[in-house]
Amino acid sequence: MSEVEKVFISGLHEKLIEDKVIDESQLDPDFRKEIIKFGGKDVMTCLQCGNCTGVCPISLKIEYKTRTTIKYCQFGMKNATLSTRWVCATCYRCYEHCPADLNPAEVMIALRHIGIREGIIPPFVKRAASNLMGHGLTVRPDESILKEREKIGLPELPQSKPDWESVKEEVVTIIKTTKYDRLLGIRGDEDVSE
Amino acid sequence: MSYAYFFGCVVPSRYPGVEFAVRWITGPEGLDLETKDISEFSCCPVPGIFYSTDRDTWLALAARNLCLAQRGKNEVMTICNGCFSSLLKATEYLDDPKTRGRTNKVLSKIDKKYIGIPEKMEGSNRRVFKPVSVRHFVDVIYRDVGLDAIKSKVTRPLEGMKVAVHYGCHYLRPTENTTIDDPNNPEKVDEIVRCLGAESVDYEDRLACCGAGGGVRSHVIELANSLTEEKFKNISNEEADVIVTPCPFCLLQFDNAQKAFTKRGIPVIHVAQLMAIAMGVDVKKLGLDLHNVSCYPLLAKIKGV
Repeated sequence: MSEVEKVFISGLHEKLIEDKVIDESQLDPDFRKEIIKFGGKDVMTCLQCGNCTGVCPISLKIEYKTRTTIKYCQFGMKNATLSTRWVCATCYRCYEHCPADLNPAEVMIALRHIGIREGIIPPFVKRAASNLMGHGLTVRPDESILKEREKIGLPELPQSKPDWESVKEEVVTIIKTTKYDRLLGIRGDEDVSE
Repeated sequence: MSYAYFFGCVVPSRYPGVEFAVRWITGPEGLDLETKDISEFSCCPVPGIFYSTDRDTWLALAARNLCLAQRGKNEVMTICNGCFSSLLKATEYLDDPKTRGRTNKVLSKIDKKYIGIPEKMEGSNRRVFKPVSVRHFVDVIYRDVGLDAIKSKVTRPLEGMKVAVHYGCHYLRPTENTTIDDPNNPEKVDEIVRCLGAESVDYEDRLACCGAGGGVRSHVIELANSLTEEKFKNISNEEADVIVTPCPFCLLQFDNAQKAFTKRGIPVIHVAQLMAIAMGVDVKKLGLDLHNVSCYPLLAKIKGV
């Protein structure tokens, strides 16, 4: 391996990124604009105070620090944010404690939007969307639940009735109109069993 | 104005007992509210997946549900924090004329249009359009029904029961949208629990996340479970008999995660189930057999079950 150099990111926290120094060519100056486009606020307003990391339940558990991710976004280090996109539980504690009113949770959501558009699609997203297209709902009941429902005297589930076809059609029409199926690369009739 | 039940995905297909409890409480044997079933409701859709990946699709699907409530001038009564936050956020997005126009363009393909619910202005003939109101079950019970009415219906006071209340994040936050309770010191569910005769125990970090939200449960389940474990430890330190939550997804997470780290689980139920027990429902109808953590130790403590 070639000589490894360390880069200082976010104050005293030493972090090794792809075993090399980051130079300008790897930075994407328009990254912050892309985040704004997908509903996040301007990451440049972040003061790097670290409140978000302090209150983040996920940051306590794994090598994911909210503030660091925001710093990557400020620098335009797109690749460095890839691995952290789907661990945010969207509990919005960071938003409540952000003095700059940045709403880091919404930034994470914007990063997910960007990731999806770059083809990084977690399988469970496809599964849920496929379920929604195929059945009109994201969760399907199994036999034991249907039996229990009958036993306790609940009305028949709407999705077991023939009228449900029109609901499914409407849902599929919406998804096709917004081109969500093409974005995820699904048809809606995939085998979606878990 | 009547309430339209919005049960969502998890409750009818995983915890039908919660659905029974809500129907029973709001029905003639309980508080006798004016309610309605809208069978065309689809998924809310799940904020952790659809809101996270494509806002336009999320908004159009949510607006479709809101259109159905708008037709009969109903208030949407959600019993899940996820449905609540997703639909509530959608009404706020749809307040913006530009966004509403764009969404209505999509909805025109299925012959629907979101305009809100028309209301006459006082002292004038002009009409104003109010957004469809999205309510949480707890908020309806607390504000529209009131604790006194519930107290008068309690036939099985839950004396001596220690309840740990888990609110769930989207019941409280973001405060930009959700303002049904004090985000730093929520009290509504605790007050309901107390008026049923039980004790609501305080525990460390009680507003922490269960870990399941935002797709974390589906994506990295070990991470979600480790958050639940932390919360579980704090709850068991207070020797609670039961965990009560207003969110079926938190319920699902607590109920399923416990087997990963403990043999002595604490039963988890929805606040509607706890209310129904205190109000004298036939407990066989609450679907408690379907819960992974056995609820029998809990039922054994209640007099008259």
